[in-house]
Amino acid sequence: MKLVDKFTLWFIGVIVVTTPITSYICLNNIERKIDDVEIARLKTVNMKAAARMTDGSSVNIPRDASFTTFTLLPTLPADSFRIRKDPDPDGNHKSLESRLTVSTFMNINGKAYEVTTSSYIPASRQILNAILDTVAWKLLLIILCVAVSARFLSQHILHTLRLTMKKIHNFDLKKKITFPQTNTAEFKELNTFLKKMTDRAVEEYTAVKQFSENASHELQTPLAVIRGKLELLSETNIDECQATLLADMHHAIEKLSKINRSLILLSKMENNEFAVTEHIKFCRVAKDVLAAYEDRLEMKNIEVKRELDKNIQLRIHPVLADMLMNNLLGNAIRHNVQDGMIHIILKQQKLVIKNTGLPPETPPEELFERFRKSNQCSESVGLGLAIVKQICEVCDFKVSYRYKAPLHILQVDFCPESVINEAEQDKFETAAVVTA
Amino acid sequence: MKVLVVEDSKEIASSIHDFLVREGYICELAYSFDEAQEKLLLYSYDCVLLDIMLPDGNGLELLKFMKEQGIQSGVLIISAKDAMDDKIRGLEGGGDDYITKPFHLPELHARLRAIYRRKKLSGSNIITFNEITLNTDTLEASINGLLLDITRKEFDLLLYLVVNKNRVLSRQSIATHLWGDYTDNLANFDFVYQHIKNLRKKISAANGADYIDTVYGLGYKFNASKV
Repeated sequence: MKLVDKFTLWFIGVIVVTTPITSYICLNNIERKIDDVEIARLKTVNMKAAARMTDGSSVNIPRDASFTTFTLLPTLPADSFRIRKDPDPDGNHKSLESRLTVSTFMNINGKAYEVTTSSYIPASRQILNAILDTVAWKLLLIILCVAVSARFLSQHILHTLRLTMKKIHNFDLKKKITFPQTNTAEFKELNTFLKKMTDRAVEEYTAVKQFSENASHELQTPLAVIRGKLELLSETNIDECQATLLADMHHAIEKLSKINRSLILLSKMENNEFAVTEHIKFCRVAKDVLAAYEDRLEMKNIEVKRELDKNIQLRIHPVLADMLMNNLLGNAIRHNVQDGMIHIILKQQKLVIKNTGLPPETPPEELFERFRKSNQCSESVGLGLAIVKQICEVCDFKVSYRYKAPLHILQVDFCPESVINEAEQDKFETAAVVTA
Repeated sequence: MKVLVVEDSKEIASSIHDFLVREGYICELAYSFDEAQEKLLLYSYDCVLLDIMLPDGNGLELLKFMKEQGIQSGVLIISAKDAMDDKIRGLEGGGDDYITKPFHLPELHARLRAIYRRKKLSGSNIITFNEITLNTDTLEASINGLLLDITRKEFDLLLYLVVNKNRVLSRQSIATHLWGDYTDNLANFDFVYQHIKNLRKKISAANGADYIDTVYGLGYKFNASKV
């Protein structure tokens, strides 16, 4: 439930609870006022009638639906007034008016008289009806106004909150964010707090990233040194035992520099250093890479089935295209078995590589993590698929893996934006002709 | 061949120096931008190995300087920056080839030789060693004038061995040379073995001497003293 709805409901609830009370007070006040006014009037009528009687002029003059009667009393009672209110003068519970009767006890010409005047006033039910009617309208209006204006108000007041939320939603560890200005105290506090938090995250991320980048960068030179010295050492007169040790060192250095290279590459991609500016013929990349691996396919005697569509152009950095294909095909060969099979399908929308091989030992979702590898191939660095995943992220491709015995299936779905269709290709070609 | 090595890391410079001197080259070292500038003005070199990241200047600036001075040496750029744009800038700025740290010395050597051939030997594309002749243009190899039926990879391998004759070449270095860095082919030394085996077979079949030695545990060597 939205904040504004909660507030509105609460407000309406308050109104609904208070309205009956105020209506009751209203009814009482109106009745009392009417009664008071009428009683005062009837008293004056009584006085005037008594005055006429004293003068001896005619008395019973009906006036304003009220009439005055004189009743001779043996003695004067203690109080000088008596007021009666009869809510149901017709006696059928349907009276629209109540009868108000005021009796004044006074001495007229030495005799005790009860001067009584009656008059009709609206029944309290009538007044109640009128009040209820009004209240209904009032409630309706208030609820409507509250509901509508609250929306606008919340739109206005919560606008900054919404902006802040949007900023947080799009928060990227790579750059700091500035929050919108606001004059609401709570939002100010929230923004200050969020700013502190996000800035800190960005700073720490940058520091960590820079450390790893610098580390891998600085490692290059010592690696080159060790490699060179080992090569020079292997030229000297060494015996078999030393040769084996040297070979192991070579091996370790090689692995180290591969890991390093891959890590540098990954961080480069994270830094978006491979902006996509050009479009390349991916089908050609696939062909070239296949050609490069020919000798290795031959050695394992792997049968290759190709389904490469022609003229498939993608917006992808050429280096990345090359690496993507290299890594995928390299994997398909490395994890393959002797006399195995690889099936490559390249369509306008996807690239699928199916290959035979031993069943996987790691769950598929972990395959794309860094340094994750199956034990069948402890020689590999374990960054190949991490690089594939990163390339796919950079290019907005979707990559997925599944195992359907006996085939490992790796699929890359190109995003529609990066596929250059025929019409666009024609445009490029004509443009090329024009520029030529 | 006279080579100038411009490299701020003394260890790397000395490794390259030792390697090239054994090859019979005259090799000079410069550890800084200024030193390199001075040497380039005073002497002439066939090839310059140039590290892009120097403490007191950028190697690309040195390329510009060489252009301005009309220095004709071939340039092989060395860099720890495995960046695409660096590569492109270096090659556009007048570098002839590009190699990234960490590299194998024989690989550096092979590239240096290739630059030297293109630049100095006026693009001579014929390399001969005893009865072996390699044509880097047509990618043809022949033994005593008899054409060998070898694949592109085998040709590259033979060229690599001949250029680095009498050196122990590790399997890693051969693998990197033949298949580049992208492929995580550590596990594939048997490929190297397979290629060497095929090559030896084909040379023997053409009555060539078996120059290729297996160095136990380390790799292979093109032994020039075998007859």
